[in-house]
Amino acid sequence: MQIIINGKTYAANPGEKILDVARRNGIEIPTLCHSEALPGLASCRLCMVEVHENGRTQYVASCTYPVADGMEVFTNSEMIAARRKILLALYNLIAPDSARIKGLLARYHVEPFDRLEADPDSKCILCGLCVKACEELGTNAISTLNRGTKKKIGTAFNEPAADCIGCGSCAIICPTQAIEMTEAEGNRTIWEKTFELLRCRDCGEYFTTPESLEHVRKKLGETVGNIEELQLCNYCKTKRAATRLKDGLHLDEYLDSDK
Amino acid sequence: MQNKKTIFVCCGTGCQASGSMKIYQTMQKIISKLDLDVEVVADIKKTGCHGLCQKGPLVHITPQEITYIHVKTTDVQEIIERSIIKDEVIDRLLYFDKQQNAKIQSKNDWSFEKKQFRIALRHCGCIANDSIDDYIAKGGYQALEKVLKTMTPQEVIDEIRKSSLRGRGGGGFLTGLKWSFAAKAQGDIKYVICNGDEGDPGAFMDRSIMEGDPHTVLEGMAICGYAIGANRAFLYIRDEYGLAVENMKKAIADAHARGVMGQNIFGSGFAFDAEVVRGGGAFVCGEETSLIHSIEGSTGEPTSKPPFPANQGLWGKPTIINNVETWANVPVIISKGADWFASIGSEKSKGTKVFALVGKINNTGLVEVPMGIKLREIIFDIGGGIEKKRKFKAVQTGGPSGGCIPESKLDLPIDYDSLIAEGSMMGSGGMIVIDDRTCMVEFARYYLKFLSEESCGKCVPCREGIKSMLKILNDICEGKGQEGDIELLEEIGSMVKANSLCGLGKTAPNPVLSNIKNFRDEFEAHIKDKRCPAGVCKNLTKLYIDQEACIGCGLCAKSCPTAAISGEKKQPHVLDEAKCINCNSCRERCAVDAIRVH
Repeated sequence: MQIIINGKTYAANPGEKILDVARRNGIEIPTLCHSEALPGLASCRLCMVEVHENGRTQYVASCTYPVADGMEVFTNSEMIAARRKILLALYNLIAPDSARIKGLLARYHVEPFDRLEADPDSKCILCGLCVKACEELGTNAISTLNRGTKKKIGTAFNEPAADCIGCGSCAIICPTQAIEMTEAEGNRTIWEKTFELLRCRDCGEYFTTPESLEHVRKKLGETVGNIEELQLCNYCKTKRAATRLKDGLHLDEYLDSDK
Repeated sequence: MQNKKTIFVCCGTGCQASGSMKIYQTMQKIISKLDLDVEVVADIKKTGCHGLCQKGPLVHITPQEITYIHVKTTDVQEIIERSIIKDEVIDRLLYFDKQQNAKIQSKNDWSFEKKQFRIALRHCGCIANDSIDDYIAKGGYQALEKVLKTMTPQEVIDEIRKSSLRGRGGGGFLTGLKWSFAAKAQGDIKYVICNGDEGDPGAFMDRSIMEGDPHTVLEGMAICGYAIGANRAFLYIRDEYGLAVENMKKAIADAHARGVMGQNIFGSGFAFDAEVVRGGGAFVCGEETSLIHSIEGSTGEPTSKPPFPANQGLWGKPTIINNVETWANVPVIISKGADWFASIGSEKSKGTKVFALVGKINNTGLVEVPMGIKLREIIFDIGGGIEKKRKFKAVQTGGPSGGCIPESKLDLPIDYDSLIAEGSMMGSGGMIVIDDRTCMVEFARYYLKFLSEESCGKCVPCREGIKSMLKILNDICEGKGQEGDIELLEEIGSMVKANSLCGLGKTAPNPVLSNIKNFRDEFEAHIKDKRCPAGVCKNLTKLYIDQEACIGCGLCAKSCPTAAISGEKKQPHVLDEAKCINCNSCRERCAVDAIRVH
């Protein structure tokens, strides 16, 4: 299967989305709500592209629109570029301090609106990535509340979430750093709830909460091999895996033979 | 000697609000106590909406074909004595038809009815709304029997495709084509859904069908179930529609008892069951993916299409979701044939459409007309023209996100495509008539405010775009509009239309964009001259009394809450601008239109 993006032909696989093919081939399409781990939100609408298919022209979100053989895609047509500018200017109203948004404004030469005032206190663009991360990785502790212009992200009844395990997935995935997560003296505070932090067994750095470790252990269930490995920070986990790989491949011998 | 008569009391929500249930009960009480030589067999039926809601409560008597309007409980005794026991007509309770300049005995001869053609509303007002017997007596469930006994599922789909029926909920997608997708979709479990989450302000056709003729919806859904291979159906009904929910639940129970629903229907082996789900309360749940998520128990928010529900719908299974009015057309197409149906309407829009005619119009109510009819015919021939003989300005079609069609387009034949070409849409068939005392800027602002509250808020163009446009429109209406606002509204509006995730956002800017297109001078007057020509926006209105037109009746002075108007009797009055708060009370009261806007 082949699709044409901006005049060039690229190979594509059935079921793939336009964005997948574009990104694989280094074609730039901006996104805010897209994560390869949690695809399909389609809420930021920045990845809109123009598609010519079966004699029809359509404007679609490339992150969710499936490829079809022979489809022609334009990522930067006049219409797409003009609307992207307007949309980015709207983003600037709701997250004026975000580095990511500032970068996009500069990248696409967007002039902020003179006529409309940005809200200096606003950070969240309500893309929904945090909610999806909590749903998939965590415990559904947060969700969107209300609707329309009153919509926000929060915990049930705005109270410290009983279900939150302090894993921080929501804060890490947020494209505009809108979720406050602070760490001090072996404690992590998020969604107005404070957790004790565990130290990595190898390096001794604080790295996660006992609640999230327990959550992962439960989720993995029987399949968990080395419980000890769960108690390592990402850096040490990677280090151990690399060491194992090196040992398994007997890389030392290759390295030694160079001598 | 027998005197057999049937009294149809409209018990739709509109007439119930004006007290029709009491009339129904009083009638039953009086009839049951009758002791006469003549045997009176009077069958009193509670019916669904007759159409002309403005004149309710309506009572219709057959076989004489007498229709009484604005009936009160105190009229019941007289109606029974004179029109049931005897054959007299009570002149006082008849409808005065302005166009014919005469009192008319039967609703069938009202000008309101003359250009109508009823398919979806064919039974509303003519059968008892809680009786499966009445529905069956009118030929009900014969279409289902026909498909189960004589047609293959493919033949059913072919017939619907041939009829060119398009979805009546607004999108206008070809119903038969949609069914064919679900029929082809893999899977042994499929679903049929009725979208009864009618949320457009001023639209009530779906409610009226569900209240007045629930079985036609069930029959249409069962026919689709057979065609696509689905055995289970859900009716998602707006939570506020209590009577529709009640009647639909009873209809399902009655259909089970009669064997037209359940296992082995008509001995065919086909099984079909339906249940009612009450809506979650959000306007956006009328959007099909949101509706599906709401039934699943999730937040009613849309997801992107594809995948389309016909392939992956409720719980990921192939699902056909059609609007109430679409379902009501299906049994008729099967019974009378696709060719008959396709002979009605315009080239690309076949059949009829029900419109809820509201606003500044004389005959408020439900009208069903062939596609392709001119706007002028609906508004002036059926609707009886503009209230208080004022001037027609525009008509908004398609609900809160429809555009306004101006006077110059009154001869536009109405169908799906012509309305879209004019920057509006069919929507579910709302039709709000606007007179010259409506400010088009304020009108657009009002609907944008509605949509800002009803947008689910999931996607940024819709949520933030509407919010920004509303901010600009609020400014314009308050007299704080700036040079360049019109262009900015157009820029943001066209982005919102193109980039939004679901149909709500894709149409939300329509009222603003179409009003800018057709009434740009009103926007400019607000922004540049700080003047509201219609005299609606308070900060931009200055009223005065035309000294030549004023007859000195004093009504304006009496209605003024701030005593801003003074004058001698029978002498022209004057208005003190310093005291005036622009409430427009005087303007509404003045019989000679002497209160003017600067």
